[in-house]
Amino acid sequence: MNTISSRFVSAGVLVIWGVVLGYFCISGRIASYLHPAFHVFTAISAAILVLLAIGLLLTRPSGNPDCAEEKPSPLAHGASLFVLVVPLLAATVISPSEFGVTTVTNRGLIENIADLPAFTMPVEPPLPREDGSIGESTPIDTASYISRNESGQIKAQTVDLLYAAAEPTMRQDFENKEVEIIGQFLPARIGNASGDRFNLIRLFVMCCAADARPVSVTVQSRDAKSFPDMTWLKVTGKATFPIESGRHTALIIADSITEVEPPPETFIY
Amino acid sequence: MEGAWFTFSLDDFSYAFLSVLLEGIPFILLGTLVSGLIDQFLPSRLMVRFLPRNAFLGICVSALLGVIFPMCECGIVPVIRRLIGKGLPVSNAISYMLAAPILSPLVAISTHAAFRGQGAMEFTVLRLGLGFFVAVLAGLAVFHLPIGAVLKRQILESLAFAPEIGSGGRLPMARRFVAAMETGVKDFLSVMVYFVLGVAVASVFSTAVNQEVILPLATNTWLAVGSMMLLAAALSLCSTSDAFIAATFVAFPGVAKLAFLVFGPMMDLKLLFIYSSVFTKRFVAGLAIGLFVLIGLLCVRLAVLGL
Repeated sequence: MNTISSRFVSAGVLVIWGVVLGYFCISGRIASYLHPAFHVFTAISAAILVLLAIGLLLTRPSGNPDCAEEKPSPLAHGASLFVLVVPLLAATVISPSEFGVTTVTNRGLIENIADLPAFTMPVEPPLPREDGSIGESTPIDTASYISRNESGQIKAQTVDLLYAAAEPTMRQDFENKEVEIIGQFLPARIGNASGDRFNLIRLFVMCCAADARPVSVTVQSRDAKSFPDMTWLKVTGKATFPIESGRHTALIIADSITEVEPPPETFIY
Repeated sequence: MEGAWFTFSLDDFSYAFLSVLLEGIPFILLGTLVSGLIDQFLPSRLMVRFLPRNAFLGICVSALLGVIFPMCECGIVPVIRRLIGKGLPVSNAISYMLAAPILSPLVAISTHAAFRGQGAMEFTVLRLGLGFFVAVLAGLAVFHLPIGAVLKRQILESLAFAPEIGSGGRLPMARRFVAAMETGVKDFLSVMVYFVLGVAVASVFSTAVNQEVILPLATNTWLAVGSMMLLAAALSLCSTSDAFIAATFVAFPGVAKLAFLVFGPMMDLKLLFIYSSVFTKRFVAGLAIGLFVLIGLLCVRLAVLGL
């Protein structure tokens, strides 16, 4: 392959990558893959890749010996092109933009907030008083994590209820209160002797879907077995925190369970 | 353990695969563009001129050069070969070669971003600090070796005729920018081949393997550290994006992820081949074993910090 044709091939690969990245950004599909903080970097990369491709096509080779074309075998060159293009395009077509039950099960459900990688207690640490003694810790303002729907129910996230299970002050904000919570259905495989419980999960993400961890609360309801795995549900009911297996756990006694469309932000951060 | 240890789902694999690609590409792209500019606009004589004459200080400063002149592990071997040809001591070149892929500001930023919420600052400082320390120790070890035991005979014979790095200096400015772009694109495409393969392997691991099955490795510090270094070698990831993959191994202790992040940029499967183009096979084998043992021991010792 000569230098000119090699530049065309390189430009073609860059265009494919740039267009695919641009497609994810413009379509909004990127929200199902990355933490919002990374979206802008992907968009900039898409633009740079396309600009580099245009630059390669519009300029003559520099003639710099450092940039001289190496001569890989046709087989090695074809294999490299295959790796660069085919997996990206295939994954773009195949990927459902959300995990199925396989990965969620393989990663294990987080049902104790201490197992969350980014876990910190929602309580400000105590400060010293003027006399040098240690003061009392300060709970974070409830307005920062509690909002209500039109019916006055608290719009909770799975992670809120796990925090509440672990922290007494926060537990008071939720205990025996009516809550509305959206998540994905998974059958409860343990602690469900009477068959009336299921897990409601949301994926907690730090950077991208690859590090997503399923955060789960338990829902008690007669409708526990009436949904396919990973179905998006809206559950309303009473938040309770019974002691099970030696610690407070989050359990919602459901009043209603309805199937809903996935929310715009499927992850929690 | 509940369920099978391995359950592959193509949907889940493709989803995880794409998410890591989308996240890692900006860092790889930035790194390769910077490397293209450095390749064309940084005269190597400048580096040699400012190095201390004292061997120990020279090795330390050479290792720190990665902060100012970052290079990824894929592109650094041709550069140090040329630097050696222009008089840079081999021990200095080795310490720069091992440290630069870790001490790069881009690596610091990407490590901090990847470990957000998992002690990002501690991980970043420890990764850079340990990378520097190991690179200096390796440089000091090489200082006591005869050059014939390190460099291949063909390299030794060709040193006197090696072309100067930054030969773009002979080109007009516009041509040098074109050459920088060409170098950047070439680096990007070559690194992306390894990155795509590495992400694919990592995505199989992170989606199909029931994480309970590796818990025995994850809970034993020695096994966890060793297995993560072997995994880093097998995945052969770029140092600008490997932190994003290491961060997904949430079941493993921090020191195992640290070993992954320090060992991987210094020695992996693709680097074995690249190093063998300049160094003797015996030296490459010794370097691989030495780095594995040294980083493993240091990381196990760091476990006392509760990482």
